[in-house]
Amino acid sequence: MNALNAQWLIRSQSIVTLAAGMIYPYYLLFLKNAGNSYSKYGLAFAVFTVSSAAVSQWLAPRLDRHGVRMLAASSLGMAAVMLAFPWVMSYGLVLVLQLVMGICNAMQKMSERLLIADHTQHGSRGVVIGSFHFWTSAASGFAVILGGFLIDWLTIDALFYASALLYALSAWAVWRYGRHGAGRAAAAESQRAAHRQL
Amino acid sequence: MKKSIALLLLAALSLYVYVRNDVPDQDPYAITDYSRLHPVKVERVVKGQEERQLVAIVQEARQKGLTVSIAGQRHSQGGHTYYKDGIVVDMTSFNRILAVDPARKTVRVQAGATWKDVQDAVNPYGLAVKTKQSQNIFTVGGSISINAHGRDIRNGSLIKSVESFRLLTADGQIKQVSRTENADLFPLALGGYGLFGIILDVTLTLADDEMYRITSDRMSVGEYSAYFQNRVKSNPDIRLHLARISVAPDSFLTDMYAINYTVDRSIPLRGHDRLNEGERLVIPTKLMFNLNRSFDWGKNVFWDLQKRFFGTQQGTVISRNNAMRSESGFMEYREAGKNDLLQEYFIPPDELSAFVEDFKAVLRSESMNLLNITVRYVNRDEEAKLSYAREDMFALVCLFNVPLTEQGQTQMKQSVQRILDAVMKHRGTYYLPYAPYASLDQFRAMYPNYGVFFNKKDEYDPEHLFMNYFYENYRGE
Ligand SMILES: Cc1cc2nc3c(=O)[nH]c(=O)nc-3n(C[C@H](O)[C@H](O)[C@H](O)COP(=O)(O)OP(=O)(O)OC[C@H]3O[C@@H](n4cnc5c(N)ncnc54)[C@H](O)[C@@H]3O)c2cc1C
Repeated sequence: MNALNAQWLIRSQSIVTLAAGMIYPYYLLFLKNAGNSYSKYGLAFAVFTVSSAAVSQWLAPRLDRHGVRMLAASSLGMAAVMLAFPWVMSYGLVLVLQLVMGICNAMQKMSERLLIADHTQHGSRGVVIGSFHFWTSAASGFAVILGGFLIDWLTIDALFYASALLYALSAWAVWRYGRHGAGRAAAAESQRAAHRQL
Repeated sequence: MKKSIALLLLAALSLYVYVRNDVPDQDPYAITDYSRLHPVKVERVVKGQEERQLVAIVQEARQKGLTVSIAGQRHSQGGHTYYKDGIVVDMTSFNRILAVDPARKTVRVQAGATWKDVQDAVNPYGLAVKTKQSQNIFTVGGSISINAHGRDIRNGSLIKSVESFRLLTADGQIKQVSRTENADLFPLALGGYGLFGIILDVTLTLADDEMYRITSDRMSVGEYSAYFQNRVKSNPDIRLHLARISVAPDSFLTDMYAINYTVDRSIPLRGHDRLNEGERLVIPTKLMFNLNRSFDWGKNVFWDLQKRFFGTQQGTVISRNNAMRSESGFMEYREAGKNDLLQEYFIPPDELSAFVEDFKAVLRSESMNLLNITVRYVNRDEEAKLSYAREDMFALVCLFNVPLTEQGQTQMKQSVQRILDAVMKHRGTYYLPYAPYASLDQFRAMYPNYGVFFNKKDEYDPEHLFMNYFYENYRGE
């Protein structure tokens, strides 16, 4: 396995960080406004972590078989949440969306780690992981600056919609290339297994 | 290689954003107002919480020789709400609704409450505000301190709906002020731009909430005065009215359309009076407004779309409270080094078309980016010492996109002074909550009571504890 096989992953996850990086700092401002007090703001975040932790235990046994599906589902889920945010008019609904985002976060983080591991080999992971980190960080750098311009020019709602579009795009990228890539990874894995048997 | 290019690009982009925003109007540590003009550092900003605390602030300022400025939503545009090295009292957290009296049709509110707070409180009783600005984002204290006016054409300027208020004066006393108690202070503090003390709470008289049917008509500027006189003012069922004058190059200062809100008694209020929350279509409207701001063709398209939009509104019904909470989200504008600033001219109806001709001539020879003109009507009301409606007036609210640089501001000042000469020629006045481009002579000519106003300021506040740039700009001497 080499870096090339992980390229679809890097690309799709760069789109995800673009989408996330674009909205995240501004989303925090939005949440703070929704919360009024800092403890309410804190609670919104706690809901996110609790749902993320809880669902991870349900996902864990399914992760190995459904990694790519989970990655795509998390992007789709985030796209839906981003579309919903501008229409939310109550703190209760903000909590519901935080909960859904917690679930998406667990799916995304877990499957991303799994797929990195699947597409790299012990002893040669550094380069791929470095590359992965570089592109995803750089993407969020661009995203956050663009996000600022977009809000100034339009509105924060427009940013939510733009982010939804990017999440949908990344879901498509994962689905399109991931299955293919995952297929190759599986083939390579069985080849390796065959070698080991020899 | 690819990575280095990406990093370089990111660094360059960051640098560009830094440089672009490294202008005084974007300094997060300085205080300014809606205009972003004249940012300064202040001693501190204190959130108003309770009466005792406000009294203590006034006493502390007196002892330490500090100034106090009073701020609501800070939508005034001439440094009315702050002063260098002084204390700013932010009244927006002093915002409780104290009492609604449906029998007397009054509401008593703390001065930091916004019109939205008031509307939310009185709507369930079938009541509505008599006079206010078009939008409901402003505080009651900030609005009575500038004596606001709006779409209502029957209830005069805002001072008329104020029954009484309590005022914390420079000596630390709290005075009940009405037309019968401490009556001297009534026309001073209302339209007093925060110079006579902190208004703590206010009793306002209310109108009934009603159902209106919207109609709109198109006309030329030359036809408008007669139209208003014969078709609008003479029909007592028309309660709210506004008009717009085109700023599009194709119909520059000639084309107009007017919108009337006529009482429709056949529609019951109940079931139709739910308050509109949130704003619709902000993204496309803001996009259109950006084009209107940036291009001549954008102005033509925007004007056409506006006319078409109001065509589709023809015949729709709306409650008074909803008609008096118009949208503002699309106007937000944060571009570094530039801003959209308001200027407003009051012109007697018989002078309107002649004034607009002179106005057009000035605008053609100065390169000003005029984005919008709305027209309202205010009845003669000379109660406030600094009254702007010495006779019945059309108010022309003009929104200009202006550079905030020193050079740009000097240019703007010259241009506005030329406009003000035309205003004076036609017996007009201008509005004081906005950037003070007028010369001192122009101010004094249009506000002949200025002497009384400032002498009274000295009398009630000899040490000039309550201070802001409105005072500094217009006091003179
Ligand atoms: C987009 C826009 C639209 C506008 N439309 C209209 C309109 O349709 N009609 C109209 O008449 N005006 C209009 N204005 C002007 C607006 O009404 C004034 O700027 C008004 O003062 C805004 O209220 P505020 O709460 O922001 O007051 P601020 O700007 O915070 O304060 C205004 C003045 O009131 C004083 N003040 C505030 N609170 C108190 C208090 N509690 N006690 C004593 N003094 C106090 C301040 O010291 C200051 O001098 C508009 C302004 C903007 C920016």
